[in-house]
Amino acid sequence: MIELAQVALNAGDRPLLEDLDARFEPGEFVAVLGRNGAGKTTLLRAVAGLHPLARGEIRIDGSSVAVLMPAERALCVALVASDDVLFEALRVRDVVAIGRFPHHRWWQWHERPDDEAAVGRALEAVGIGSFAQRFFATLSSGERQRVWIALGLAQDTPVLLLDEPTSHLDVRVAHDILKLLRAQANEGKAVVCALHDLNEAAAYADRIALLGEGRLLAADSPEVVFGGDLVERAYGIVMERVRLPDGSLRLFTRNGAGGRVADANDQNC
Amino acid sequence: MLIAALAAAAAASVLIGGSALTPHDVVGALLHPKAASVANTIVWQLRMPRVCIAAVVGASLALCGALLQGMLRNPLVDPYLTGVSAGSAAAIAIAVLAGVSAALTPAIGFVAGLAAALLVATLARRGTGIDANRLILAGVSLSTLFAAIVTLAIVRAQSNDYASAIVAWLAGSMAGRGWHDLAATAPYVAGGLLLALFAVAPLNALRVGDLRARSVGVDVDRAQWTILAGSSLLAASSVVLAGMVGFIGLIVPHLGRRFVGSDAKMLVPACIFIGATLCMLADAVCRSVVAPAELPIGVLLAFIGVPAFLYLYLRGA
Repeated sequence: MIELAQVALNAGDRPLLEDLDARFEPGEFVAVLGRNGAGKTTLLRAVAGLHPLARGEIRIDGSSVAVLMPAERALCVALVASDDVLFEALRVRDVVAIGRFPHHRWWQWHERPDDEAAVGRALEAVGIGSFAQRFFATLSSGERQRVWIALGLAQDTPVLLLDEPTSHLDVRVAHDILKLLRAQANEGKAVVCALHDLNEAAAYADRIALLGEGRLLAADSPEVVFGGDLVERAYGIVMERVRLPDGSLRLFTRNGAGGRVADANDQNC
Repeated sequence: MLIAALAAAAAASVLIGGSALTPHDVVGALLHPKAASVANTIVWQLRMPRVCIAAVVGASLALCGALLQGMLRNPLVDPYLTGVSAGSAAAIAIAVLAGVSAALTPAIGFVAGLAAALLVATLARRGTGIDANRLILAGVSLSTLFAAIVTLAIVRAQSNDYASAIVAWLAGSMAGRGWHDLAATAPYVAGGLLLALFAVAPLNALRVGDLRARSVGVDVDRAQWTILAGSSLLAASSVVLAGMVGFIGLIVPHLGRRFVGSDAKMLVPACIFIGATLCMLADAVCRSVVAPAELPIGVLLAFIGVPAFLYLYLRGA
């Protein structure tokens, strides 16, 4: 379980988010939404122990993230980032195998059978088993994104954080990835995922954590978060709400010149 | 194959030399180390220490290069980025000019080299870790400054002997080095090697970037300091043993990657073997081709190694 207690986060010297109180449970898929610059990436990195807290505490299964050693933290939480850095000509399988690092002591250089199994499962789960031996540099941006997700899965942690995992993915692959994350949550992981697409979040997430106005505006079901005016407050734009035959809500921006809501966050675009 | 190449290079290095010893003489000396003979003295007091020093220098510089290129994710980095060799060179140049006893210059070079590395690391520090760009800029800047000090010392040298001594050291040579030099640097080489072994696993994870490395549990700051400390010890020891030997630290990691790929578990041992082999062969050539004089090893490696490497690399690209 992830608990945030009175968390405040800064971007450099600038306050970014304040008074964050939330819990993310095992078996739950939470989508983090908000405008560019709202603090989604910073929040995920803070939960992963990779960004300092200005105030407050983040606990994973009762242990404060700040006091965990790096390897201990990496056994609890995996962060799938969206930047694209690679120096060496590495094969896909070698990249994914790096996710097994926290499961080894410094002298354990060899790959064990459970490492091989974890890497194989991760490759198959994201549908890239067939190009495990390809060089990473030969992949498309969407395929690379899947490799990063596989690396996070190979880490085999109870908490999985993903920063915009469906960016660069076509609609079919995005659907497959979100279905995979839904399945990971169903198997007991706590999955927290920053997304841009509101309707992807509505379709797959149990709850939505909506960031805006420098704080957590809501952490509730899609029905509750999308039902009121919170999305307008967070994004500064009026949304049309459409109810699907199954009763779920979907949101779309309004076409035309009308409907833009002016707000104090405009300079954050 | 690499082990066989190393063994062959070692054997060739012991067999080759300025003195005319037959293979039978050499083998006899190796099998009877306590026998009193000219061959024994040549083999055990002159050639064997040189062979061992060449192996240690080559292995150390190649390992340094692999560690730093992996840490900084930059294929153009060489072991002297940390300022070790330039700092040593400047201190030794000043010591020679000041008439300090030649027996003290290796120790002066070693301490100065480590001090220069510490200064570079301090300038490159950001928070608890190292900033890669700052490290490169600080290393290059300070190396340039120290090189200017060396040039000034050569210009100001009042006799050609002083200038020649400084230049000879800069060109790289193992002439006059023996078992006592190897023994003096052994603890530091061992320390550098041990730190390198600690760094192998983090080095693999660093290939996917600092953020992902931290995410999989690498203490990136500690890994960076470990690599810097290990490579400084290895580079400083090499400088004491052989002066400035270029090429090996920059090029051998590339050769290693061509043979075994970039997995540090394979690359680190490969670089050690390839570096040792190259340096032993080069030293053997240096002391035999213009015997009784010697070619500076750095010059030989540059003239032969660079074209050979470029041919192999560009042909394979």
